Amino acid sequence: MKKIEAIIQPFKLEDVKEALKNIGVEGMTVSEVRGHGRQKGHTEVYRGREYQVDLLPKVKIEMVVPAARAEEVIRTVIQSARTGKIGDGKIFIYDVVDAIRIRNQDRGEAAL
Amino acid sequence: MPSASVIRTVAKPLCDGPLASAVQRFQDTGDATVVVAARTTEVENAVRHVWQQTLAAPFPRDLAVVATGALGRRELFPYSDVDLLLLVTREPDSDLERKSLSAFLSSLWDQGIRVSHSVRTPAECCQLHAGNLELIVSLLDARWLAGDVELFRRFRSKLAGFLYAHRRPLAQGLCRLARSRHAAFQNTIYHLEPDIKQTPGGLRDLHLLRWLTQLKNAGKTEIPSPQLPAPLQAARQLLWTLRCFLHLRASRDQNRLDFQAQQALAEQPLSGEGDPAAWMRRYFQQARAVFAAAIQEMENVESRASPLLASFQTWRSRLSNADFSVRGERVFLRSPAAQTQDPERLLRVFEFAARHGFLLSREAERQLAAHLDILGEAIRSGRPLWPWFRSICSLPHAPVALRAMHQTGVLGTLFPEWRQIESLVVWDWYHRYTVDEHSLVSIEALFALRQCQQGLLRHFSELTEEVGDPGVLVCALLFHDTGKVNASSPHAPESARLARLALSRIGAPAEILDRVCWLIQQHLTFSELICARDPDDPSTAARVARRIGTVEALKQLILVSYADISAVNPEAMSPWRLQQLWRWYLATYQALTRQLQTERIEPSTELSPEMALFLEGLPVRYLRTHSPSEVEEHLRLYQQAARWEVALSLHRRDDLYSLTLITRDRPYLLACLAGALSGFGMNILRAEAFSNRQGMALQTFVFDDPGRTLDLNPGEMDRLRRHIELAALGRSSASSLVTQRLPQTPGRRRWLSPAVTFDSGASPSATLIEIVAQDRPGLLYELAFALSSAGFNIELVLADTRADRAIDVFYVTRDGRKLDREVETLLLEQLLKVCRA
Repeated sequence: MKKIEAIIQPFKLEDVKEALKNIGVEGMTVSEVRGHGRQKGHTEVYRGREYQVDLLPKVKIEMVVPAARAEEVIRTVIQSARTGKIGDGKIFIYDVVDAIRIRNQDRGEAAL
Repeated sequence: MPSASVIRTVAKPLCDGPLASAVQRFQDTGDATVVVAARTTEVENAVRHVWQQTLAAPFPRDLAVVATGALGRRELFPYSDVDLLLLVTREPDSDLERKSLSAFLSSLWDQGIRVSHSVRTPAECCQLHAGNLELIVSLLDARWLAGDVELFRRFRSKLAGFLYAHRRPLAQGLCRLARSRHAAFQNTIYHLEPDIKQTPGGLRDLHLLRWLTQLKNAGKTEIPSPQLPAPLQAARQLLWTLRCFLHLRASRDQNRLDFQAQQALAEQPLSGEGDPAAWMRRYFQQARAVFAAAIQEMENVESRASPLLASFQTWRSRLSNADFSVRGERVFLRSPAAQTQDPERLLRVFEFAARHGFLLSREAERQLAAHLDILGEAIRSGRPLWPWFRSICSLPHAPVALRAMHQTGVLGTLFPEWRQIESLVVWDWYHRYTVDEHSLVSIEALFALRQCQQGLLRHFSELTEEVGDPGVLVCALLFHDTGKVNASSPHAPESARLARLALSRIGAPAEILDRVCWLIQQHLTFSELICARDPDDPSTAARVARRIGTVEALKQLILVSYADISAVNPEAMSPWRLQQLWRWYLATYQALTRQLQTERIEPSTELSPEMALFLEGLPVRYLRTHSPSEVEEHLRLYQQAARWEVALSLHRRDDLYSLTLITRDRPYLLACLAGALSGFGMNILRAEAFSNRQGMALQTFVFDDPGRTLDLNPGEMDRLRRHIELAALGRSSASSLVTQRLPQTPGRRRWLSPAVTFDSGASPSATLIEIVAQDRPGLLYELAFALSSAGFNIELVLADTRADRAIDVFYVTRDGRKLDREVETLLLEQLLKVCRA
């Protein structure tokens, strides 16, 4: 199993959710996060006064999928989250040792 | 009504005997008294029995088992903790004593009784320090259960003397704890899923009232055991029923009345009504009475405790007048009989509260609540109460007054639409409060912004100053969720409809109704955009800007959005949301400013040829900010100007004057007009200057007359009119008059450093200059003069002044082109110099 963590633009969340739903992935955890990548934020000007915006609003999607489907999911996230501009976000992939459904103690992929 | 009970049986060790039959009776009747009594007796019996088995022999004397807390009050619910004090004359030191104590406690735990115990000597119980306040409070209800009765008597006597000596610091400490608990629940009873023990207005507040009364009436030798005041007994009965139900349903010490519990409660035979919302309304009604009584008692204690507070309150009492007296920060009616017989006089007390931030006294609340029929009759007969309501909403402490109006039932009488959302629970995972409370909290969030001076909140705070009178925003927030009463349709349109009904009934003017309803209709716009659209996409921002229309509307809507989101729950306005909201404000603001120049009215065959000719080339904003009758009036002026070179209209509206002038555009025109007004002693608050395709300039100014020249000298209006005409035609030197007549402002502290920004991407043909500076008489004239003197052509102007802050937008060209970088640098210095002059 793989855990896929995607940090994307907030306004792309609905597109990504819809695309994942279309390939049968509906379980996910979504958080509102702030951060920056290589661009390290930017300076904004309001009424002549500059102020540094170092942490930009993003959305983090986390999901655990069978290893065999990981590439498909990653491809889907990329296609639906991409605008081609700076700030589109990142995807991180982790190996998952096990998963347990607390209600009935299903384990492994059966718990997903 | 389903007969199958969802209430589980109580824990096995307790499920037989009198308690079981009491639970059965409770399920049918909702009478928690029998359950509480049975549980108390059962636990007392169990404690005495175990004492006999484990402690009686090793401690024939020198130990007493004392019930404290809930057991001491005989208010033990099925799964309440059992507070016991093991009162000793000395610390148990032998193995036998320690083992016996351990056996006593283990045996109780084995019977399913969750014991919270402490072992103390009488001397240890009668010590006051910061860490043991709650212990001492629990001793107020101390009651002998078993063991050395003489030791208990001595302890009780010592405790009475101790409480008497320390009654004031103890009462103050209790109030501090209660304030802290209330703050943890945002000081409101109106939680969608209240904790019926800890939430304001819950059982803990009933305990607080009991303890404060005990301390107030404490004698040197006795600890009183007061009865609950009669008006609060119904509240206690309801809270007991709820707590008992929650304990039995969860089989643990569960006190949170969550959505599932509300639904389950309504389905019980004990309920008597199948609607959870009706139950919750009953709960809020009783909690409101408990909370009000607790607050009043705490204020009594706190005002006695703090000489500084008392002297401040005494000083504030000087604000008393012929109608109202102020004592202890609360307002009393001087002539209640007369003041409650007239709707306007009745509303005046809330205006007084909104002006000074005073709460109503309990007496005033009762007097007002008893005469709501007078107000209801005035509403039915169509009495125009709008000026009073508008005044209340616009004053600095409007949230305080609106809460008082809500509590006394005045708001619900004034607006039946509001009554429908009183204590209304709408199930929602994100919302924390009932619909009425959410609306009031949103208004408080708006007013609290004024104090914010840090980070992004400072920018929102500036917007509140720029919007000025908050009356329209308050009206919008008050009604923005009234449509939730009809759960089957989107609430925003329904809320707007209800707001129009409510406000038109009291005589609100059409322009206010339109603005309020528009804000309500749009109040979810930015909440939705935050998660669904890219603020950096210019085409999206342009679409949003078109939907919003003007910068003024944007500022109002962004503040309504901020207040609405902030009132969802205390964490809802996270830094994430705040930043997103601000990004959307900036994107829309920039798009609106750009559209001033780029979005012009195109020729239309649907209009008369004269109207089409007049409008062609004016910014689209013009049609968004002027009513059809104003446009007709301007067309008339336009036709006059074509014959006589210049035409103008000058009107007074309330305290402000409005000037509209049309003439052929020429260099220095804006500077001459601004100079003529300033030279006449007028203070320009707003100005717009547009040109149509025919090269005719339409200039509008809104100004006030700080020296009351026009007010006191009627002939001066005509002289000003002629003076402006000459200035428009270039036949008088405005600059000389300006320097003679400018009002002086010596010693005035300049608090806003000027900011000048250039945007050459805002328009294909002109450079946008935005200037934000401390306002002063003649500033617009000097800025316009500086631009014209340097050879720039002012294509378009939008000038605004709010709270001493001038926000001026100019679109300028030189030789028909945008400005280059070098010119911008030179101009920046000149404009900053003018702003700082």
